[in-house]
Parts: sequence; structure tokens; C-alpha cells
Amino acid sequence: MIACLSIPGFELKAALRARPSLELRPAALAPEPGAEPLIGPVTAAAEALGVRPQMRLGEALATCPQLVLVEPDPASAEQAWEEIVRGLEDAGFAVDPAAPGIAYFETRGVERLYGGLDAALRRALAAVGPQWDARIGVAGRRFAALAAASVARGGQLLVVRDEEVGNFLAPLPLSLLPLERQRSAELEALGVRRLGQLAGLPGGAVAERLGPDGRRAWGLARGGAAARVRGRRPPSELIEALEFPEAVGNELTLRRALGALVETILARPERRDRFVRKVALAAHLVGGGSWRRTLTLREPSTDADRIRIALAPRLAELPAPVLELRLELVELTEPSGHQLELLAAGAEDRSRLREGLRQVRASTGTGSVCTVVEVAPWSRIPETRALFVPRDD
Amino acid sequence: MVADSRDARAVRSAGRLNEPRPARVEANFDGTPWQVNHIPVSLLREEWRVLDRWWTESPVVRRYFEVVLETGENTVVFNDGAGGGWYTQRGA
Repeated sequence: MIACLSIPGFELKAALRARPSLELRPAALAPEPGAEPLIGPVTAAAEALGVRPQMRLGEALATCPQLVLVEPDPASAEQAWEEIVRGLEDAGFAVDPAAPGIAYFETRGVERLYGGLDAALRRALAAVGPQWDARIGVAGRRFAALAAASVARGGQLLVVRDEEVGNFLAPLPLSLLPLERQRSAELEALGVRRLGQLAGLPGGAVAERLGPDGRRAWGLARGGAAARVRGRRPPSELIEALEFPEAVGNELTLRRALGALVETILARPERRDRFVRKVALAAHLVGGGSWRRTLTLREPSTDADRIRIALAPRLAELPAPVLELRLELVELTEPSGHQLELLAAGAEDRSRLREGLRQVRASTGTGSVCTVVEVAPWSRIPETRALFVPRDD
Repeated sequence: MVADSRDARAVRSAGRLNEPRPARVEANFDGTPWQVNHIPVSLLREEWRVLDRWWTESPVVRRYFEVVLETGENTVVFNDGAGGGWYTQRGA
């Protein structure tokens, strides 16, 4: 069976750890700086006063003037989520963290370890801890498990057997499906408001009316496709941080600090000749908030300059002066994971190359050597940008 | 008799670079790939959509994903919304 662990409003709960007194007051996660002014998850007190997640900020404040806006704290949310996932992994579960607050794992491997499905799931809830108000849905397929988790109450385990999936999903709302708002509205206008109603329609007709997204939603409404859950590879733990004596907003200073962090972290012996594939840059901001950006390098590298150049533009996105700058090597390759170039740039000898091509043509016939001609480099369709044209001169 | 080389040149046609190639992709419920040609996906780097030529009889409706496979290979796959099926593509 597949289990889905869900913590509704995870980002807000993580941000409220630093301000627990707000948990019982009407509060909502403030919009990200620069993003659309939509509030994030809300507390139960705010919900009771009519505030809903994803409401426009102005509308939310008009509905509930005493609403407290909590600054997002992505760095501590990520850290808290990592602690939760590691807690589950320490308890023997191979976890696939789909998003902060949502994780999947297979129960088959651990049922025997803990003496049955129920005991294993209770162990998972205990590993997460009661403060997060987690709940677990279990089913044969991922979507059904997610649906079960979304209707379960805090601390509840909800198991949906294969033969019950159809009846269980039928009365649930369409909002559980990963559908664009426009598509959901289209379905509602057609009188389709429940998963069961959508599942009862012919698949071909749904695909014709709503396109591939609608067809996928229809498949999910019928339980979803069978897919295994693959446990993640635990991230590396190489972290270097630099605490400033006073808040720094000067980008030049931050760039220098970043340069020093890159040099130091690459010199750490724990890296053991492995190349860096993914890095994260995080900061504690003045005023208590945090900031974090992750970056996957196009090519794994241990070149300090390359990593620094890739990360430096992110410093311009910092919304406030920084008290601490932190660099994390999130993912490292194996020592053999770096592919070298066949020919170093600019090293080809043109006359030798021409002679080589002549010999290829002589042995394989005309038309075997081509040249690439750009015809529409601006095109959004990759195969229309360039042609290869036979070249026999 | 020697054939006219200009005629031979005239019949050779140019080919398209970076033509999509069919791929065997397993996708999650949200449509993101988790396996490409039997190799598990280790990281989803980027996702974008291409909607083009909608005014023609063969519109282009694609959902692209740039992924890193567990072997370390960087690859781009897309789901063809018009004709169905998954493809890999270079140069995307």
C-alpha cells in the first residue's frame, strides 16, 4: 500500500514555531515579496472568521481586520521539513517528499517490522511528532492516498482498500485534482462537481472537451495510475555559514562573502572529490525572516569561480539586509559523475579537420558530411530552428 | 558516362536538426516524469510549455521537462498534447 502523510498549512506552521502565541489568533502567511498578493495558509481562528487560503490580501484584510500577517520563513520551513523526512527515514520508511507538507512512502517493507499496517503508520505519526497535526491516508495508488490524507483529521489514519476506492473518491470535490482553475470552472459549469461525476463520464469525451489535462484528471478521478514510490536519496550535509557583525545590504560585500563561502565549502574534506550538482544559498534577514534559493548546475562542477558566478545574481533578489549567509551543497555526484569535453574549445586544427572530413566523405560517399544552418533561431519549436545541409565542398 | 554532379546535389534534401525522438516515459499523477527510458529521474530542473501554430491544422502543444537522470545525464523530454506520446529532444 502507498501512504501519504499530509501536514496542511505546513509553511504557516513552520513560520509560527518562532511565534507560537499567534497559533490561536487569526493569522495568515503573508504573500512572498514580489509575488501576486495572495495570502497563504491560514489559522483555524482566521478560517472561522471567513478568511480562506489563496484569498487576495485586500479581501482578507477587509474580511478580518484583525488578521495578523506572518512573514514567510522558507529556510526554517525547509529545515523543519527536512527534520520530519529524516525522522521518517530513521524509522525505516523510504520517503518520497513530494512537496513541503506532503510525503509518500510504501508501507509494504515496514509492516512486518512494526507488526502490521496500523502499527507502522502509528510509528510514522510518532516520528513526525504531535505538534504538526499530521494525518496519513493509505491506498493502493498515490492519488487515492493523497485524497484519503486530505479528508483525514489531524492524527488520524485513513486506509482505503482497493475495492472501496471508487466509492471513497466519488463524493470528494474536484478541488483535489491538479486542474487549472479555468478547467475546474468549466467542469462546474457543466454540472460536474464531484470526482464520481467526472469518473462516470466517457474518457474520450473528457479528453475531447478538456484536452490532456482533463483526461489526466479523469484518470485520477478513477483512482489514478499504478506507480511505485521511490524513496529519495538523502541530501548531503555540507553547510558553511557566515554570520555578519551587523546587517549587510551591500551587494559587493555579500558577493565577497559568497566567494569566501564557496572556497571554504569546496575545501571541506567530507566532499571527497565529489562534484557539486545542486547548491542552496540561504540567508537570515534582519527582522526575523529568511530567504533561500536553490540552483542546479547545468554541469556538475568543483570550479569555485563557476559556482560563484552562477550564484551571485541571486544575491540581487535578497529582499532585506542579511544577518547570516549560508551555503549548502545539496546534491553531490559520485567522483566519476563528471564528463570531460572530447575537444577543448579552440583546440581544433582547421586544416586537419578539413582533411579528416575529406577522408570521411571519401569512405562513406557524398552527403555524409553536413553543415548546420540556422533558419529560424527565434523559433520556440527546437526542430525548426536549424537544418543540417549536406556539404561536399 | 559521368553523372552531372549538380543533379546529385539537387536531390539531396536538408534534414531537421534536433528532431524529437520517441521515449518511454513514466509520469506521476501530476504529469511530471519519474522515469525516462527505464532510468529513474533524480531531479526535475525545469518545466515549460510550448503552444504554437495554433492557427494551422497541426498545432504544437507540448509540455517540456528538463530532468537529471540517476545516471547523471541531463535530458529534455516533452509530452505531446496534440498527438499524444512522449519524446526526448536535444537543443530545447
